[in-house]
Amino acid sequence: MEFEESGIGEECGVFGCVAAGEWPTQLEVGQILTLGLVALQHRGQESAGIVTSNGSSPPAYVTLKGMGLVNSAFKAEDLLKLRHGNLGIGHTRYSTTGISELQNCQPFVVDTLHGRIAVAHNGELVNAAALRKKVMRHGVGLSTCSDSELITQLLALTPPMEEADAPDWVARIKNLMTETPTSYSLLIMYKDVIYAVRDPYGNRPLSIGRMVKMRVKGMDHSKLVREGDTEGWVISSESCSFQSIGAKYYREVQPGEIVQVSKYGVKSLCVVPRPEGEPPAFCIFEYVYFARPDSIFEGQMVYTVRQRCGHQLAIEAPTEADVVSTVPESATPAALGYAQESGLPYVEVLCKNRYVGRTFIQPNTRLRQLGVAKKFGALTDNFAGKRVVLIDDSIVRGNTISPIIKLLKEAGATEVHIRVASPPIRFPCYMGINIPTKEELIANKPEFTDIAGYIGATSVRYLSVQGLVAAVQGGTASFGGKELEMISPSNNGIRRLGHCTACLTGKYPVELECTIIQNDSYTVC
Amino acid sequence: MSCPQKDTTEPHVLKEEVIVSGKWVKLEKTVYMDPSGNTRTWETAKRTTRQVHTATDGVELIAILKRTLHKDCVVLVKQFRPPMGCYTLEFPAGLLDDGESAETAALRELKEETGYKGEVVGVTPVTCLDPGLSNCTTQIVMVNINGDDIENINPSQQLEFVEVILLPLDEFQKKINELMKKEKIVVDSKVYIYAMGISQAYFKPRELPVLKQ
Repeated sequence: MEFEESGIGEECGVFGCVAAGEWPTQLEVGQILTLGLVALQHRGQESAGIVTSNGSSPPAYVTLKGMGLVNSAFKAEDLLKLRHGNLGIGHTRYSTTGISELQNCQPFVVDTLHGRIAVAHNGELVNAAALRKKVMRHGVGLSTCSDSELITQLLALTPPMEEADAPDWVARIKNLMTETPTSYSLLIMYKDVIYAVRDPYGNRPLSIGRMVKMRVKGMDHSKLVREGDTEGWVISSESCSFQSIGAKYYREVQPGEIVQVSKYGVKSLCVVPRPEGEPPAFCIFEYVYFARPDSIFEGQMVYTVRQRCGHQLAIEAPTEADVVSTVPESATPAALGYAQESGLPYVEVLCKNRYVGRTFIQPNTRLRQLGVAKKFGALTDNFAGKRVVLIDDSIVRGNTISPIIKLLKEAGATEVHIRVASPPIRFPCYMGINIPTKEELIANKPEFTDIAGYIGATSVRYLSVQGLVAAVQGGTASFGGKELEMISPSNNGIRRLGHCTACLTGKYPVELECTIIQNDSYTVC
Repeated sequence: MSCPQKDTTEPHVLKEEVIVSGKWVKLEKTVYMDPSGNTRTWETAKRTTRQVHTATDGVELIAILKRTLHKDCVVLVKQFRPPMGCYTLEFPAGLLDDGESAETAALRELKEETGYKGEVVGVTPVTCLDPGLSNCTTQIVMVNINGDDIENINPSQQLEFVEVILLPLDEFQKKINELMKKEKIVVDSKVYIYAMGISQAYFKPRELPVLKQ
């Protein structure tokens, strides 16, 4: 819950749609993009942007950008402007340190030598500072601090070997991928196609869905409905957006893959490999906290993985107690898993006030703690006089869990044991999660040796890194067959599992420029 | 109160005489008095099929197919019309059967010609079709089709020679013009007028007025 409280977040969600069949399409592409972004709202609430295209040569683009939630950022009259779209991409943005200006909102649109492109990006380039200098050395001026603009400019650079009138987008994208290893999930709209790209380490998620028209077999409506013609293709950071628009999950974009999505279908153009022997590095915190529980990654549902974390936690850190409960709502699957494995009854102990927003705007610790206290009430009857095991999905600074423990004790809990369904975070993330500085992390403070005393709990145990990895990878081995069929033949079908656990272990998937920077005293934007 | 210069009478029909009658259509000589009191004749075509209980010969449908996340589309039919000697683009239509109301006839015709199951949302009063030639009348029935309903997802048409054409309401007139360029068809005037009305009402307020040179 502390991620939610302290505003630590995923930087952004991307969503794209291409109408299948004849153009101009009868699909309302603008509406589909809007609904897709609403489903990805948890990945960014600061602003939203949509760009639609009619797909002709040259294309007519319509851009809509707005601050705040998707539902309030766009008005009905604005959405009307999108009615000529046959394809489009959209983006929801998370609060970053920079000023929130409409210009900084994605998708970015630029004119390149071969025409206009629009780009939506999720992630953070690990070598942004060096790349900025490189791009500027080429004579390109940058107007924002955003790496998404950087990516767009890199795509506009002419790769060697490209002919004057034949744009080679695969070469351009491959060029980008050699310039920067991670992290990015990209949607690039050009002419009448969308290129869906995932960095070679697959750090941020990206999956494809198929919008289907249901066909009724025969006139007997009681018969099962068979899948019919494809009405459109959608690409999204998370698969949770598919159901709300009548799309079926199709497949994930593989790490390093460049996929071309057009009205004719989905075509894998190539898979850029990682350096020899290196495993992929999918952000493990997508499973722990950031993704919506109904999303599917690597063939498994996020909720199921969280539940397995709870199981694993119960095995690693069993407790002599009376009831198991959760900090609503993100820790609930893990709490249920813990209860199932431990055999202790699951009860609800906290009542959440959903109208109290994130408390991170309060500048100091004390105010923040007070704010948190108002967010929850105690369901006293359920646990008074009992020993409670409380599952939370994360403890980062330790500020948010202490008032909750106090609340439970004052309401009659005899013991409050905290079990955290993730390992302690000790290191910063450079791939898109704005984790607080090393010094602020509770796991790095001297108080951590007696964390229970520090937060006022009877005992505190975290899930181990190996335990987390086992819970995450436990389900992926079994899905083997089905998803592999959809991978292009160039990727010989062998799927290595690998997750980025840098914030937990300090082992980063790639060499970071920040360590180089520290030595050379560069200033980073 | 001033009196008109000439004497005027209320024009009215004096006598109707059948000249020739076929199975579906008959030709009559209509003797009538004109507003200035003179007796005149008119050649009038009439259908033989009009039911006793009604003043309407038939119905025409403005049926809108509504599907989630899709543009609203008008349901049109393309068929060969012997009197025109070519294909036409019209609203689905049909004659009233014995004892039928306009609404019932409309939904029945829609199902037969296009396979869609619709709901009536409005009916016009009895209107004339070509009053200089015939006494044929029609009622235009506004119908909504729930495109998400399983019956309407892949409708089965029951008439062989009628082609169903769906055109989005968005830029309806433009789409009709494109169709006319592509294929040799004559568009029914009711369809074209409806398209013009939609353009003016819906889009002109939003578009900058363009001055014609």
